[in-house]
Amino acid sequence: MGIPQEAYKAMEDIVGSQYITDDQVIAQAYVGRLGHGKDTGIDLEMNVPPAVIVLPRTTKEVQGILKIAHRYKINYVPASSFWISHCAPKRPNSIVLDLKRMNDLEIDEENMCAICGPGVIFSQLQEEAIKRGMYTTTPGGGSQVSVVANHINWGLSPLNYRNGVPGRRVLGGEWVLPDGELLRIGSMSTSDDPFWGEGPGPDLRGLLRGWIGWFGAMGVVTKLAVKLLPFHDEGLKPVGISPHTTLQFPEKKRIRWYNFVMPTRESLVECMYDIGKAEIAAALTKVPQQWRYIAKAGCREDFWEGWNTNEARKSINNIHICRVMLVGYASEEQLEYEERVLMDIMDSYGAKLGRTRQSDNSWIKNADSATMWMMTGAYTSVQVTVDTVDCGVKGGEGLAREKPAFTPPLMDDYGEPGWFQVSEIGHMGYIEFLQYWDPNPNQENLYKKDEWNYIKVPTLDAEWGMFNAFNMYASPMNLTGKAYGPECRKWFEKVKAEFDPDKISNDPIPWDVDEYVDKVDWVNKEDYINRDWSKG
Amino acid sequence: MKDNYDINNYTYDMDRCIGCKGCVWVDHVYMPGVRYGVKCPSNAYKLFDGYAPMGREKIGKALLEGRIDYTPEYLDVMYMCQLCGACDAGCKRNLDLEPLSVLESLRVKAVKDGKGPMPAHKKVAQNIAEKGNRYGAAEKRSGWITKDTKISDKADMVYFPGCSASYVEKGIAQATGKILNKAGINFMTLGDKDTCCGHPVATSGMLDEAKAIARKNIDILKATGATTLVTSCAECYNTWKVIYPKMLSKNFADMGYQVIHLVEVVSKLVNEGKFTFSKPMNIRAAYHDPCRMARQGEPWVEWEGTRGQWGILTPKKEYRRGTFGVYQQPRDILNKIQGLDLVEMPRMKENAFCCGAGGGVMDAYPDFAMWAATERLTEVQSVAAEAVISACPYCKKVFNEASKANNMNIKAYDITEIILACM
Amino acid sequence: MDLKNELQKIVGAGNVLDSPEILEEYSTDNGIYPPGMPTVVVKAGKSEDVAKVINLANKNSTPVIPVSSGVHFQGCTIPYQGGIVLDLSNLNKILEIDPPNRRVRIEPGVTWGQITDELAKENIRVISPLLPHADRSVITDYLEREAPVVPKYEFAEPLMTYEIVWPNGEVFRTGSASVPGYPDSPAKGTNPAGPGLDFYRLPQGAQGTMGVINWANLKLEYLPKINKIFFMPFEDINAAIEPIYKIPRVHIGQEFFLLNHVDLALILAKQWPDDYDRLSDILPSWTLILTISGPPRRPEERIEYEKEALFDLKKQYFQDMPILEALPGVPGGGRELIHMLRKPWPKEEVYWKNRLSGACQSLFFIARPEDAPSFYEKVVDEAPKYGYPLEDLGVYLQPIEQSRVCHLEFNMFYDPDDPIEREKIRIMNRELAQDLLDMGAIFTRPYGDLADMVYEKATSYTTALKRVKKMFDPNNIMNPGRLCF
Repeated sequence: MGIPQEAYKAMEDIVGSQYITDDQVIAQAYVGRLGHGKDTGIDLEMNVPPAVIVLPRTTKEVQGILKIAHRYKINYVPASSFWISHCAPKRPNSIVLDLKRMNDLEIDEENMCAICGPGVIFSQLQEEAIKRGMYTTTPGGGSQVSVVANHINWGLSPLNYRNGVPGRRVLGGEWVLPDGELLRIGSMSTSDDPFWGEGPGPDLRGLLRGWIGWFGAMGVVTKLAVKLLPFHDEGLKPVGISPHTTLQFPEKKRIRWYNFVMPTRESLVECMYDIGKAEIAAALTKVPQQWRYIAKAGCREDFWEGWNTNEARKSINNIHICRVMLVGYASEEQLEYEERVLMDIMDSYGAKLGRTRQSDNSWIKNADSATMWMMTGAYTSVQVTVDTVDCGVKGGEGLAREKPAFTPPLMDDYGEPGWFQVSEIGHMGYIEFLQYWDPNPNQENLYKKDEWNYIKVPTLDAEWGMFNAFNMYASPMNLTGKAYGPECRKWFEKVKAEFDPDKISNDPIPWDVDEYVDKVDWVNKEDYINRDWSKG
Repeated sequence: MKDNYDINNYTYDMDRCIGCKGCVWVDHVYMPGVRYGVKCPSNAYKLFDGYAPMGREKIGKALLEGRIDYTPEYLDVMYMCQLCGACDAGCKRNLDLEPLSVLESLRVKAVKDGKGPMPAHKKVAQNIAEKGNRYGAAEKRSGWITKDTKISDKADMVYFPGCSASYVEKGIAQATGKILNKAGINFMTLGDKDTCCGHPVATSGMLDEAKAIARKNIDILKATGATTLVTSCAECYNTWKVIYPKMLSKNFADMGYQVIHLVEVVSKLVNEGKFTFSKPMNIRAAYHDPCRMARQGEPWVEWEGTRGQWGILTPKKEYRRGTFGVYQQPRDILNKIQGLDLVEMPRMKENAFCCGAGGGVMDAYPDFAMWAATERLTEVQSVAAEAVISACPYCKKVFNEASKANNMNIKAYDITEIILACM
Repeated sequence: MDLKNELQKIVGAGNVLDSPEILEEYSTDNGIYPPGMPTVVVKAGKSEDVAKVINLANKNSTPVIPVSSGVHFQGCTIPYQGGIVLDLSNLNKILEIDPPNRRVRIEPGVTWGQITDELAKENIRVISPLLPHADRSVITDYLEREAPVVPKYEFAEPLMTYEIVWPNGEVFRTGSASVPGYPDSPAKGTNPAGPGLDFYRLPQGAQGTMGVINWANLKLEYLPKINKIFFMPFEDINAAIEPIYKIPRVHIGQEFFLLNHVDLALILAKQWPDDYDRLSDILPSWTLILTISGPPRRPEERIEYEKEALFDLKKQYFQDMPILEALPGVPGGGRELIHMLRKPWPKEEVYWKNRLSGACQSLFFIARPEDAPSFYEKVVDEAPKYGYPLEDLGVYLQPIEQSRVCHLEFNMFYDPDDPIEREKIRIMNRELAQDLLDMGAIFTRPYGDLADMVYEKATSYTTALKRVKKMFDPNNIMNPGRLCF
């Protein structure tokens, strides 16, 4: 056993023998190799099996486990859906807190929020929300990810169009600090009701999450109220048999998708601004070309037959798809009004309305992020920026110019400048730049996918003045943590030193990439460590 | 010739699992909420990820790479699973990996390595070898046949009742015979040569023994001259349609026989107006999709080829994704019965929660099987149904046992019995 | 060290003020709390000054009290431990107006009066709280989490990013403004989150205890040209609750709030005091006010469907509720409110909250709208015990984010020159707050006397907050004596 017997026994007393194991067969199931970041360097080379896996049920149990870990100085990794490579044990003799049993879900219909345990996933919450005429933002991470974990770590998708960055959707809750002490945030600080998130006074939600979050390196959030947003009340009917399952839109004109082919990329960007300013729509996104080919393909081989063509190559600069969702929140008349405004805007750009299926299997309840791995077996996004739409597009175009130097091992996507979309009704734009590669280790220069992901893209973003959330965790703190703020890394260090001085909460996050690149021979750290970023 | 049960053929599938848990969650489009959100019985029962298909794949890979060795816990991980295939349909919604083949092949490897199967499985295999039935019963297999059942000496269709309907749930075999009689369909049986399909042997990983049974049964069928085999058991159905050709590395289409479940026969007639129900049945019931006929009901399609860059397969593979299983036919039948209020459970069709009995679990882990059946019965209760109807005798048996043990007052029926009662 | 001399080196002699008259001016505000004398007042002339002043103060452990607005009501700028009042009112530049990205970047001294007129030239606006004082700092209002009077936006918060001087003197930019090279960068600072941590949350509701803002980016929205206003009168607050929940959920309307007759009369009265006396008599006990406005494209059609949706809701849920386009007995029917709501309170007139008695103590908190009636009843039960006349109690309910919660405000008017009345209001404010806190009122920005009671109750939060404060302000120089520091 990798941890003291008495520590194990103490945890067993807390959760019961059924919910704790140190069996090393079971431990293999918790050795990384999954989710976003799979097959990148930290996933391939930093994962170790945990010594113990424990399945707590309550906040009190989590507190007890963290206090034991604190007493015995044992590293622990809290995770709900294990959908990111930062949430796999990277230190020997760690405890994994698998939070799936903490799946209490309570919907506060009047005040439009859901009080969630970390074991609740998005499709479960969305089911309950839609039943009540509301919705949550199913994120790009997928329907299978934890509502709590995703709200405090990521939380973006086309459904952000109206509600914006996820930091705004976190309300009150319970947060067990790294040493096991309970911190009640928002309205829970002075009551038992988590319906509001602010204060009192300075808002400690600012420590809890950020751009992006701690990935378990700052204790465990055991209960969180998250906002639900008003939707139409006609419901959405699931139809079909796997893999062709979808949510059928109601006959009443309360929700509709529209796909437009725009004449140029510039007109695609301009129309997004116009739609935002007109304050219409419920989702607004560009459709990257690869995704169109995925949608048409019956299998991976079909995709490649389509993609390995001149038509596909030319499509990057010739076909610009703008996908818009309208919702008649108030009535069918609202949707009809928004449709007229949308057509005014699109006509002014010479856009052509294409055929569009009036159903959804991509964003509302099922966001099949897993499909991203279908093309090549490996995928990550190096998100470029969340700022204005224009900024995002420029960043994507810039990276598209740089990517050929890393292709292969990256898949050739013919200069696709990324997937961009709008949030906060046009106040913000958001882009993800997509990378696919073959993870087969028997390739030359496979390390270049890590160089691109961990070093090149973050460096370019900082040089160009782009704001990239992924970079804060998918790059060395010595690079982006130095460049942004500036020196936001110092605050990470201070917060960590204050609340987790022994570094037992998911060490070495968020310094795992620093630790990884320290060991490889293809990075010249001096290039960025000694750099003066103050001039941009 | 490719060995479809060689785990080395699935290392790509194990390694490329990304942990999305499509193998565990109900299809998100159909996700009913927190309760009933998990479709994998073993991961609902044992909550550690090691008991989820994605975890089993990682554990299996660790074994292949020598990072772990066989232990009692390893065998529990691999055998505490109904092989219900919910994972397979879930994975193929997005990624087209082969989790069910991985799980089956890891059992085969355990047997080849001298570690598997579990003692209870060995006993069942012994029963089959010695008595031709899984129970080790000494009685004649044809004991289900009643005087008023007309069985032809020679027919194009063979009814293959399977062990359960021959010895335990005889009413199902009897109902099947009478339904076929009413429909005017001539059928025969395998007579003295009727024996176990070998499903328990195959699922426990005893590949050599299972292949021997398959070859023998196929020869017996061929000798009858019949081209169609009708079953009333989802396991037998699957064995003949999927496991035999898979073990023998052949397309089902090349096996030289057709396999059909009684519900397929009846639904066709019902939809054509050639089979009608004259008696009502006032009951509110839920239909339980038996795994091996529903999401695992598609015929085996043999593939042999290579995997190249980006994981591209040459030639293309035709996937069995569970799309074309037997889902609608039983519903079509039940919807035609007057007074029968058919309701859907939250987990249905390809997302149905297994009854708990399959994959050798009832033999080796009866407590787990009962737990799974009880869990499923709570789902029946959740839609205010008083009865559950399946199309497999093993489902019926375990449901009735669980209902009785837990005083749930839910009656489990086989669909053949319902048809018989209402025709 | 000669503090004055050092400060003069930074901002110039003319901007360091310590005459008794000036110090006295900064020793108090328009509220109930007693005065406290600063040591010196420093007027920052440029944002670089701020970091230098704070750096100096930090080295000497001298308190710094940042002051941006020309008007304060809650005592949070009164220096109770001496030190430097850092007056930011001269940092009043509108640095950028960026209509394509619907963003404005301003300094902390920019007031509602200033920004509203400037933006109106381009038919845009920053959504404001209800009739703010013209001299209030825009940044201060949203740093202090005032509730916007338009609850329709799901993203709610108008504040996006800012540059802050931390109490240790370091300058830091938040969110997407944290990119190297800002503002000459493609990132324009529209994303509040990060970098890494959500730093922008920490100075919110902090009353200047977490640092000083040099500038901030705020959201711009269109300034509607075509508008309609509807008044929904109620005699019982309970009847207003369902419409408060239902109306904004269907994405209709702009400004939307509930006032009692006292607050509404204070706002609508033209001739003082006659109009007030008359209006407070004839106005309904409660009025729910909703504006419907047309956006730049197809404005009339938008107003039409929103109006239809409003009347559909009435038909479905609250048939007995009148929806009036004009308030009976009010000159012009009260329709001028549409225009009033898009501007701060006129500078030349006594601020609406001060009209009745010269000063107002606002007791406000966050609540579920459904709980508002019980909070109101509690105040009605308790106020007479302090001799406060119920006919002078102002009540304002501001739905937030489509009514997921509301800002509930009780306005208690008093004569600021009467020390006994002032003390009486202070006691009433404190004791009522305790009662309401016990009932579940959420005081997210506890001012003055409320801080102790709230932080005492928020045990775990207080402990963590103190640890955070110590990280950012090890010498506790920023506005000491506030909150729990």
